[in-house]
Amino acid sequence: ISQRAKDEKTRKLLSRIIRVDQAGELGADRIYAGQIAVLGNTPVGPIIQEMKEQEQEHLETFNKLIVEKRVRPTALLPLWNIAGFALGAGTALLGKEGAMACTVAVESVIGEHYNSQIRDLMEDDPEKHKELIKKLSKFRDDELHHHDTGLEHDAEKAPMYDALSQVIKVGCIGAIWLSERI
Amino acid sequence: MCTSTGDRNPPQDTSSGPGGSASSQASNEGYNTQRTGQGAQYTDELNNSEDLVNEVEEEEMPEETEEEYQTKQAVLKASLPFVHQYGWTKKAIVAGAESLGMPPMVHGMFPRGGAELVFYFYEESNKELESYLKQNVKESKEKDEKIKTGPFIHDAIETRLRMIIPYIDKWPQAMAIQTLPQNAVQSWTNLSRVVDDIWFYAGDKSNDFNWYTKRVSLAAVYKSTEIYLIQDRSEDYTDTWNFLENRLEDVVSAGHLARNLQETNTVLSEGAKGFCVMTRNLLGMNNR
Repeated sequence: ISQRAKDEKTRKLLSRIIRVDQAGELGADRIYAGQIAVLGNTPVGPIIQEMKEQEQEHLETFNKLIVEKRVRPTALLPLWNIAGFALGAGTALLGKEGAMACTVAVESVIGEHYNSQIRDLMEDDPEKHKELIKKLSKFRDDELHHHDTGLEHDAEKAPMYDALSQVIKVGCIGAIWLSERI
Repeated sequence: MCTSTGDRNPPQDTSSGPGGSASSQASNEGYNTQRTGQGAQYTDELNNSEDLVNEVEEEEMPEETEEEYQTKQAVLKASLPFVHQYGWTKKAIVAGAESLGMPPMVHGMFPRGGAELVFYFYEESNKELESYLKQNVKESKEKDEKIKTGPFIHDAIETRLRMIIPYIDKWPQAMAIQTLPQNAVQSWTNLSRVVDDIWFYAGDKSNDFNWYTKRVSLAAVYKSTEIYLIQDRSEDYTDTWNFLENRLEDVVSAGHLARNLQETNTVLSEGAKGFCVMTRNLLGMNNR
């Protein structure tokens, strides 16, 4: 396989990863924003606020990477902006447990997703992508921490927890698939 | 030029070309005899069928080798001077190949015919533009000057369009070839490359939907100026460069309009939110 083709393959992989991660972090940030809009003044507000700030940090990292690596951002960004806020606000209206259930569902999908990206990068060229792999690992740990926080705060007591969780997970997976391509 | 093959998973088989197709034929025959073989073999067959399917797939779409790529590039480069005589066609490619001492059958390496020549020229011009822009940015950095976006973009588009001028007699044909459905995707990719390069070297740092609006608007400017260029009869095409300047000004003023609209929108939505809060307060619905 020629070097040109190999470089092209790596470039496509990187593009895809950075594009979908930026979309994901924007979505997560907006979900938390929606939750805060409804639950901001309740005792669980500060916890959500803290998680939102971490997502913002992640988002800034990917915004920089988009420019640095000349990656095309997904054209669906405005859609995820609105959809994320709607999901956050919608689940928060089900109460604090609903918001936490949403968090748990989203973060578990994202955690798996980061893991598979790290695997892909290691398969491609662990040396070259060392920086990025480190960043993604840290972000994955943060997301899993959010996942655990959600569980700690009675996510499983949410109304229709199983159904809600499934629907949100499927939605996230669909959003990831779309953002990788569009 | 071969982005369509680049999307697929590159196979491990590196011997493509005449040697490769001979071996692929042999193993295809082997595959056929295995199918009509004994039951036990057939079961084994089924177990390995996935591998065979992959193998067949890989052999159907061989990734071109570096050697093939270089040969193609050389032939296309040699074909360009013949465009004035034969247009962007297979004839020009054949003439180019013959000028290098290759047999005319070489045109079989270019299934899309004249379009391959157009794409080659487009891509080479894009590469030239990129190094020109890189050079500009480097010089500005050395002189510690800040790049002025407007003039930079104007200069970039003018430079890129001027590369067409040597072939302007046959450029309308090239544009027509690019609009054919089978060539549309590649043409779109080429155009995106131009505008992305220009914005990148102009210092664009957008990472949201603005990324798209900037490139789409610039692509529209580029395309319309290109069309103006091919019918321009003025001295050194000065009319074209004036047209370009006007189109760029339009984009700038559209940007201002968009920003004004956005600000108006913010004011209006703040107003609506305030009205909602007031209503809630009046109805006693607030829980603060």
